[in-house]
This record gives sequence, structure tokens and C-alpha cells, in this order.
Amino acid sequence: MTLQSTKFSVPSEKWKYKSKRSERTRSAVIFIASIFLLIYVLAPVGWLLSSSFQSEAEIVSVPPHWLPHEPTMENFNAIFFQEFEEVTYETRRKVDPAAGGYIPSTAKDLLPSMWNSFIISVAVVILNLVVGVPAAYAMAKIRFWGRQASVYTILTTRVIPDIALVVPFFLVIKNLGLLDHVMSLIITYLAITVPFTVFILVSYFESLPDELDKAARVDGCSRLQTLIQVFLPLARPSLVAVMLFAFLTSWNEFLLALMFTQTIASQTLPIIVASFTSDFTISFSFINAAGVVAIIPPVILALFFERYIVSGLTAGAVKG
Amino acid sequence: MARILFDNVTKYYASVKAVDNLNLEIKDKEFLVLLGPSGCGKTTTLNMIAGLEELSKGDIYFDQQIVNFMPPHIRDVAMVFQSYALYPHKNVFENIGFGLKMRKYDTAEIDRRVRDAAERLHIEHLLDRLPSQLSGGQRQRVALGRAMVRQPSVFLMDEPLSNLDAALRISMRAEIKQLHHSMQTTFVYVTHDQAEALTLADRIVVMKDGVVQQIGSPDEIYERPENLFVGSFLGNPPINLLVGELVSDNAGVIFQKGRFKMEFQEEISTKLQPHIGKSVTLGIRPEDVNEQGAAVPGLSVSGTVNTVLPMGSEQYVSMTIEGTEAFFRLGKEHKHKGGDNISLDINRNRLHVFDQETERSLLWG
Repeated sequence: MTLQSTKFSVPSEKWKYKSKRSERTRSAVIFIASIFLLIYVLAPVGWLLSSSFQSEAEIVSVPPHWLPHEPTMENFNAIFFQEFEEVTYETRRKVDPAAGGYIPSTAKDLLPSMWNSFIISVAVVILNLVVGVPAAYAMAKIRFWGRQASVYTILTTRVIPDIALVVPFFLVIKNLGLLDHVMSLIITYLAITVPFTVFILVSYFESLPDELDKAARVDGCSRLQTLIQVFLPLARPSLVAVMLFAFLTSWNEFLLALMFTQTIASQTLPIIVASFTSDFTISFSFINAAGVVAIIPPVILALFFERYIVSGLTAGAVKG
Repeated sequence: MARILFDNVTKYYASVKAVDNLNLEIKDKEFLVLLGPSGCGKTTTLNMIAGLEELSKGDIYFDQQIVNFMPPHIRDVAMVFQSYALYPHKNVFENIGFGLKMRKYDTAEIDRRVRDAAERLHIEHLLDRLPSQLSGGQRQRVALGRAMVRQPSVFLMDEPLSNLDAALRISMRAEIKQLHHSMQTTFVYVTHDQAEALTLADRIVVMKDGVVQQIGSPDEIYERPENLFVGSFLGNPPINLLVGELVSDNAGVIFQKGRFKMEFQEEISTKLQPHIGKSVTLGIRPEDVNEQGAAVPGLSVSGTVNTVLPMGSEQYVSMTIEGTEAFFRLGKEHKHKGGDNISLDINRNRLHVFDQETERSLLWG
């Protein structure tokens, strides 16, 4: 059969050019869809930010003010500067919440709890790397009996919901005498984050050729030196991804923190922010201001490591 | 000084035997080539010398010392890999100097040695580049340089040329031979390419399925293959194999396959005397023929040319001998074409006879 049949003899112009109009329509549709998606994702954050600069009276106005008409620093002043008396049943009417300026009794705990969260998150990140990196390297590059099984076992632990682990965790923490201590959260958060760290890094290390490992060892590296000198520099995007994951998980975790902490000696940010809603009266604008303060560290981290994040989350994802 | 001795070494991967009871002495300053098809255990053997694979059984000695569990960074070996395995995040200078840095040489010495090696490999202008900015041949040179600067007592190469194009491969072969000459150290070289093995080796070890088939100089391996596998693995085009029978005749022992007969020289004939009646494989190398006018039964092959493959300097012709297609290499004095009737005189000094059952050579080994 030849290609010179009548079907092919008259060259058609139809597929030669892409029509300009269809291309423009396509871009427009994608553009509009992106705008909608952005609004959907960013609107709550926008409202959080905007309302934190509004008074309690303005926040409940209808229609809502997306831009504060009378911007106020009152809420932030309350967090950073003011000292507040304890509100009791007797004093609850001293200030009318609708008039603004009403601050919950636990407001003074916000900054200490943020410090607790920070200490815990940083410790969890560091310990994740100390434990997860060598574990992942061993599972990816050293052949030992039960290697495959250990990778799957580690991953399987993540199938169990945290709520099921609360009681066992509680007993362990109690017996260790660590209730109401930041160590209790560091230990339990490690149990949650290390499996993910190992899994991401194993896939990444496996994607690096074995010969690289062999070359380094013949060149005079011990196993540990091979890991530090050759594999870690190459794994930077994946490392950033697991560090962010461990940090954010620890920063946001609520359930275990609620169980193991009782006082500001160990209470974390989510616990204190949640406590603002359980006072005699509730100030939404103040809670939103606290929310803004709470997202600042993760946002700084994300901006700092921005160029690694996407490549890190996808690296190794194709293989493994 | 580095003499390497394998003493009854066996290596299992799970239940698969990768290397089976290997006994081998690699002499000091020798260029030894491990040759075999993929999966024959040659790379595993090399990795065991480097210390990258543990042994399942047996011992490996470096000189008098057992090194079974000595980790690679303690052994004084350097290795060049098929994929080069350059460190992607280090530039050429750092790649070459890495082994020295890990061994804590001072900066001036590292600088001197790296520049010296780079000069010998003609890559001194590339020292600042990253591996991703180099061509295949340049990467190969960097990999060689990385091994060279350490001046190791054992130099290991795992198919170092197989990712290069044909022309470069031949020139690099010459350079590697030169390198061995100038470095005066033990080289162990793994390849599946017989031409590399024959050109480079002092001795060749032919392996198959984890078992050593034959150890010898390139000439011994090529001229006196001890079994059918060695005979057929070396040679390009491959040796022609005819399955037939040894029968007794007035001329002594002769090979017979249908109407095709081949007489042997007296010496060989005597050797084959005890094997009369056996089913055997006759091997004729494509180059062991001469063109002549008339066919002499028992001394020559004759038939119709099926195809002619001109190779520039020579030509390969194929003909069918009793149902088996055979290739022969001829000079260019006579231009042949398909359908020609030719008869070829066989160099009977160079015939090979293998037992059909055991596949062992009946002449050697």
C-alpha cells in the first residue's frame, strides 16, 4: 500500500496552523479558572488578615469590610504589649465585648506557647534528620535481610489514625513522667513524622545510581562519609521537603498536644488559640490576630525554601 | 605490590549463585580481563575485589592478607565504572581530587596530582566544569583521572568503554593500555567485548553463569578454546560449528556430517582415536580457509555462495554446509557474488573438535 492514495493527495490546511482564536480562548479559560482557584484558596487567609486589623464591632458588620474602614492595632497590642487582668464571672461585664477591646484571659499565654511550639518543631525537624537520613540511606543502598519489610512496616504505621494511638501514647508518656513537658510532644511527633521522612528520602536515594555509592566508597568514604559527602548535597530538595513537613506537622498538631499538656509550661500555639474560644466571651478579631501571628513562621519558612519545595515533593515520587 | 588470590570463593544473591567456587590468582602488575556475557558473574567478582560485595564462602587474599571483610575505603583499590559515576555536584577538579581529599592529602599535593592527571588525559581545560557539561568521552577521562591520581595498587574497571562511540572506544583502548604500562600496577578489567579483551589483556578469564570456563593468554583462549562456549564466544564473525560424528576411515579418524567429510592431520587424528563413534561438534574459524581452484573431498569445503558481505578490507561469504550456514572470511582478490560456486581449502592445523555431550574440547584442556 502506498501513501499516495486520494485521501492524502490533497494537502489539507486544517491541521497546518493552530487558529489564533482557539489559542486565545484556551488561555482565557485557564486564566479565569486560576483566578477562581486562587480566590478559593486565598480568601480565608485574606479575611483572617483583614479582620485582625478590625475592631470587634467592625468585624460583624454586614456586608463585611474586606478592607478595614477603621484599621486598628488594638488586637496586636493586646498580644505583644498589654497586660490584662484575669476575667472572672464577676468582672465579665466590665467591658462590653461588642464595643471591642475585650481580650481573653489566656491572651498572655500566646507568645510563650508560640515559643513552645517553636522549640518543639525545631527539635522534631532536627531529630527527624538525625534519625531519618541514615535510616533512609541504609534502606535504599545497603542490602540487608528484611530491608523491604522494614520500609513497608514503617509506612504502615501511618495508616493508623492518631486518635487510636492517644491512649497508648498517654500511658508511655505518663510512665516516662513527661506529662505537661515539651519532651512528650517531641517524642510523639517524631513517631508521626519519621515514617514520612524515611519514605520520601528512601525513594529519593533509590533514584540515585548505586554506582555513585560504590564510587564514593572506593574513593575512601566510609558509609557515613558517603552519605554526608555525596548523597546529602544531592538530596537537598527532598531534605527541604521533609523538614517543612516535620515542622508544619509539629506546628499545627492539636490532638496530642491537647492530651499531654496542661499548663503553659508545655502548651503549644494551637491549644492556646483554641482556648480563646472557651472563655466567657469571645473576641473574633483577637482570635484572628492570633491566627495571623501563628502563620508567620511557616510562611517565612515557605518563602525561604520556595524554590526547593515543588521539586522536593515530586523528586523520587515517580520512582518507588 | 598487589597479588590477588581467590580461594574457593562463592557468592550467592538470595538463592542465585552469582559466582561459583572461583579459584584465581591475579599476578602483580598483570592486566587481567574478566570476559563473559552479561550475568556471568564478572562484575560481582570485580566488586568483591573492591570490597563492595561480601563473600558467601571462601577467602580473598591481597598478597598474604585475607581481606574478606576489609571495607573498600581501607583497600588500596581504585575503580572506574561503566556509567562513570561522577559526583554531579562537584566540578571536574573536585571529582578527581575527592579520593585524595578523603585520604587527607594536603591541598598542594592534591592540586599537583590532579593537574598532572588532567594533563595526561588532556582535560586540563575542563577542571572547572560540572560533569553535566561534559561529553561522554570527557566524562570517561574524568573517571579515569579520578582513579589514576590515587596511584592505587589495584586498578579496577567495569566496562569503562561501553558507553562510548566506536571510534572513541578504539582510541581509549590504546590509552588504557598505555596507562597500564606507565602505572606499573595490577589492572582488573571487566568486559563483554571480546575485541577489548583480546587487545588489552595479559590474561583473559572467560566466565559463564558464575563459573570460570578458561584462563589463559589471549592467544591461548582464541587458538585453544577448552570448551564449546569459549570457542563460540570469541571470534568475529563467530566460529562455524558443524554437528556430526567421528568415524574411522583409511585416512585415520575423520569427521562426517552427511556427505561432508573432513580429514584431520595425523597428530590430531591420533588424539581423536579413542573417541571414534562419538557425536562431536567441529569448529572452523571463518579466517582459517584459503581459496583454491578444485575441490578436494576431505580437505576442503565447497558449495554455492549464499550472500557476500563486503567489509572494505575483506569480504565475508556465507554458504550452506549440510543444512548449516557457515561464514568464511576471504581476501578481496576474487570478487564473489551470490550463486558463485567456490571451494575453500581448510587450514587443518586449526580445527577444533568438541564433545557433543560434555562440550569439552577433545584436542585441548
